[in-house]
Amino acid sequence: MAKIEPGMESMLDMYFFETNSLLEQLDEILLRTEQANAFESEDIKEIFRIMHTIKGSSAMMGFENLSVLAHKAEDMFFVIRENPDVITDVSFVYDLVFQVSDSYKTQLEAIQNNENGEYEQMNFDELINKLLKARDHLANEANGESASSGGDKPAAAAGGESAAAAAPTEKGKVTVRVFFEEGCQMENLRAFLLINTIREECSFLEFYPADVETNAETSKEIVEHGFLITFSEEDNRDYILKLIETALNVQSYEVLSNEEAANPTKTSISEEVPKAELPPEPVAVKTEKPAPAPAPTPAPAANKPAASADSSVEKAQAAVANAQSGAQKQNLISVNLAKLDALHDIVGEIITTESMVISNPDLEGLELESFNKAARDLRKLTSELQDTVMSIRMVPLAGVFQKMNRIVRDMRKKLGKEVDFVIEGENTEVDKSIVDNLQDPLMHLVRNCMDHGIEENSKDRVLAGKPEKGTIKLTAQNASGEVVITVSDDGAGIDPDKIMAKARRMGILTKPENEYTEKEIQNLILLPGFSTNEQVTEFSGRGVGMDVVKANIEKCGGAIIVDSKKGVGTNFIIKIPLTLAIIDGMEITVGDLVFTVPISTIRESFKVESGQIVSDTSGNEMIMIRGVCYPILRMHEKFAIETEVTNLEDGILLLVETDNKSVCIFADRLIGEQQVVVKPFPTYLSRYNIKGEGLSGCTIMGDGSISLIIDTNTLIG
Amino acid sequence: MTSDVIKEAVAKQQSGDRKLAADNSILGKVMTFNIGDQIYGIEIQYVTEIIGMQHITKVPHVPNYIKGIINVRSKVVPIVDIRTRFGKPEIAYNNRTCIITLNFNETSVGIIVDSVADVEDIHTGDISATPENKNVNTNDFIQYMIRGENDTTKLILDVAKLLDEKEA
Repeated sequence: MAKIEPGMESMLDMYFFETNSLLEQLDEILLRTEQANAFESEDIKEIFRIMHTIKGSSAMMGFENLSVLAHKAEDMFFVIRENPDVITDVSFVYDLVFQVSDSYKTQLEAIQNNENGEYEQMNFDELINKLLKARDHLANEANGESASSGGDKPAAAAGGESAAAAAPTEKGKVTVRVFFEEGCQMENLRAFLLINTIREECSFLEFYPADVETNAETSKEIVEHGFLITFSEEDNRDYILKLIETALNVQSYEVLSNEEAANPTKTSISEEVPKAELPPEPVAVKTEKPAPAPAPTPAPAANKPAASADSSVEKAQAAVANAQSGAQKQNLISVNLAKLDALHDIVGEIITTESMVISNPDLEGLELESFNKAARDLRKLTSELQDTVMSIRMVPLAGVFQKMNRIVRDMRKKLGKEVDFVIEGENTEVDKSIVDNLQDPLMHLVRNCMDHGIEENSKDRVLAGKPEKGTIKLTAQNASGEVVITVSDDGAGIDPDKIMAKARRMGILTKPENEYTEKEIQNLILLPGFSTNEQVTEFSGRGVGMDVVKANIEKCGGAIIVDSKKGVGTNFIIKIPLTLAIIDGMEITVGDLVFTVPISTIRESFKVESGQIVSDTSGNEMIMIRGVCYPILRMHEKFAIETEVTNLEDGILLLVETDNKSVCIFADRLIGEQQVVVKPFPTYLSRYNIKGEGLSGCTIMGDGSISLIIDTNTLIG
Repeated sequence: MTSDVIKEAVAKQQSGDRKLAADNSILGKVMTFNIGDQIYGIEIQYVTEIIGMQHITKVPHVPNYIKGIINVRSKVVPIVDIRTRFGKPEIAYNNRTCIITLNFNETSVGIIVDSVADVEDIHTGDISATPENKNVNTNDFIQYMIRGENDTTKLILDVAKLLDEKEA
C-alpha cells in the first residue's frame, strides 16, 4: 500500500478532474484517428502533449508509477512525432495507447476509492517494457534519423538541451528570472512544467538549471536564485511573459538585461511584476483566468489554440469544452453537483410557496386586480427560473455514447466480428444524475449486442440475406417528456424457443407455457440469473447482466423493453423521464389522505353505474370499457384507509396504464391537476416496503400538507 | 464529544468508581419530557426543535408506532409515537402534546411526547447506569439514568437505538 503525500490531498480533486478529462480527450482522439486509420501530425502532437501533462502532474502528486508510465508513452510518441512515417503497424500503437489509458483509469479509480489516502500501487512494468520495445522498434525504423532522441535521455529534455547546446546566450535574447510561490514544493518539476508551457511559443529556448526534470536537487537552487529562462526576442515576448505570469504557482518574475543574464547569481529588480494572487488550492468553481490587459501586439492568443498555449489547468478546461474547437475559449465553469441539487431544491420550494401565496384561502372572494397581475408575472418568472435550473442540470448523452464506441472497438478486435457502430442523437440532453446511472446499463447492452446479437460467422449473415458486416445502432431521441434510447443490432435475434427451454429448466415460469406471448417470453431475459449463452465469455454471459440493467434503469425512473425478431435483430428500448424531480400530477382523495397520480399514466377518469361492474367468482370487481375488461383496485382497501365512500357509484374511477398493464383505481374524488415536486420518503422509512407497494414518494402541496405519489408500476404489479 | 464523556462516566459508574460522586462537573445538557408519570430525557445535541402537534399524513405499510409524515419547513419528517413505541396505551393528543424533531446521523425523525418538561445540566454525580437485568427487557432504549431532586429518576434515551433499531 502506498500513501498519498501529505499536503497533496487538497490537490487531488483537481488532479483527478484534469487527468480524467485528458484521458477522455485521448480516447476520443484515438478513436477518431483509428477510424481514419492515420495519425495527423496535429493529433500526434496533441497525444504527446496529453501524455506530457499527465506525466508532470502525476509526478507532482507523487504517483511515481503513473508518471513513469506516461513518460514512456510520451517517449514513444516523441519518436513518432519526429518521424511520422515510421508507424508501420498502426493498430499495434493503438492497442498500446489504449492499454496505457486503461491502466491509468484503473489506478486512478483505486486511488480515488480509498478515502484514508492509502491505495494499492499498481505495477506497470510489463506495459512499460512493451512501450520501451515499441519505442526502440520505432526508433530503429526511423533509421537513426532521430538516433539522439531515441536514446536513454528523456525525450522532452533532449529537445531543450540540444537547443541549449546549439546556441549559447547572445544578443537578441530575453532572459527572465522566475520565482515560485514559497513552500509550493518540487520547484524543479514546476519549472519543468513551465518550460513545457512556453516551449510551443519559442523558436529558441534555454533554461538554467538545465536538468530540472531529472534532478530534484535543483529545487534548492531555484528557490534561492530563481529559475532562468532565455528565449529569442523575435518570439512573441509579451505573450510568453503573459504565459509565465499566469502559470501555476509562479510568484513573480523579472526580465533581466543581457549583462545580468550573463551573471545569473547577481540579483536585479529591473522589471519585477508581482503575480496576481491565485486561489491557494483548487476550488469547485473555476473560471477562466481574467483576460489579459490590452496587449501591445494584436491579440496573440487569438491565433493559437487555447489548449496548446495555456497552463495545464486551462488545458483541462479546454478538454472538457472539447478541444477540437479549441480556437475560441469557452466560458465554462464546473460546479459541484451538490450545489446544483441544493439550487434545484430551493426552486422547487419556491414554486410550492408561490402557490401557497397565490391561492391563499384568505384571498378568496376578493377583487384584486393588480395582485392578480403581479401574481401572473411572478408565475411566469418562476417557471422560467425552473426551466433554467433544469437546463443547467441537463447534459448531452454524447459522453456516455462515446464510451460505447470504445467498447465496440475493443470487442471487435477480441471477437473478430465485423461491425459498424452507428450513433444517432447523441446531443439529446438528460438530467445529470440519469446520465450517471445510464452508463453501466448501456455498456452491458452494447456488449450483449456484440457478443450474442451479431452472428458468430459472417457467412451466416450472408445466407440470411443480410450484409456481411453487422450493424449496432445506438440512438437517442426526445419523445413527449421522455427520452427514448434504443440499442439495436441486426443480428440473430432472440430465439423464443431457447428462452422458453431455459426458463423451463430454471423453473421461473409462473403460468402455463402456452399462455406466454412472444413479448413476455422475450422479457424473461430481464429476470435475475437468466443467460442463454452456453458459454461464459469475458464480456458477457454470466447471467448477472440483464436484471442489473433493468434495476439500474428503473432506479432512475425508467423502463426497458425488449423487442426482438428471430433472424432479424434485437432492439432494447429504454424509456427514461427527462427529469426526475417535477411531475404533472392529478390529486385524488381517499378518506383523509391525498394521493398524486402522475398524469402521464392516466388514460381517463369517469363515474360508473352499477350495471357496468362485473364480478368474477372470487369476488374481484371488473369493469367493461369499450369492450375491454379492466380490474378495479379500491385504494381504500389497498392502503387500509377509512373512508365513507365505499360504493363504487359514489366515488370516481381512474383508468391508469403502464407497461401495457392497465387497472382502474377507485378513489373518493378528484381534486385537480397540479405540478408537484417529487420528494423521496425520509430515509428512516426506507426499511419498510413502502416503495414496493405502489408509492414512489411524497410531495408537499400548496397548503403545506403532504400528498403521497402513486407509482403505477408497483401498484399494478 | 459530549456523549463520549458521558459514556465514560457511565462506564465508571458501572465499575463502581465511587470517586465520581464527589466530582460534580457538568457533562452536557438533556431535554426532558413526560410520558405518563415518567420523565425521559434526550441529550440536547440530538434535538433540532420542538413543534406543536399538527396534522400527520398517514403512510401505509409501516408499523403502528410510525404515525406518518409531516412537513417541517419543506422537509418531510417521519413521526414516531413514543407511547406506542414503548407499548403504552395511546391517549388522545391535547394541547400539551409536542413533537420533538431529532437529528441523528443525518436522519431526521420526530417523536410525539405528552409534554416537554425542561432543559437541564447533566452532573457527573447524578449519572447512574441502568441495572443489568436479564429477565426483563426494559433497558432497550435507555442509555443511562439521572437522579434528580425529590428522588425522581430521569431515563435518558439512546437515540441511536431509538432511530436505528432494526425491524423486530
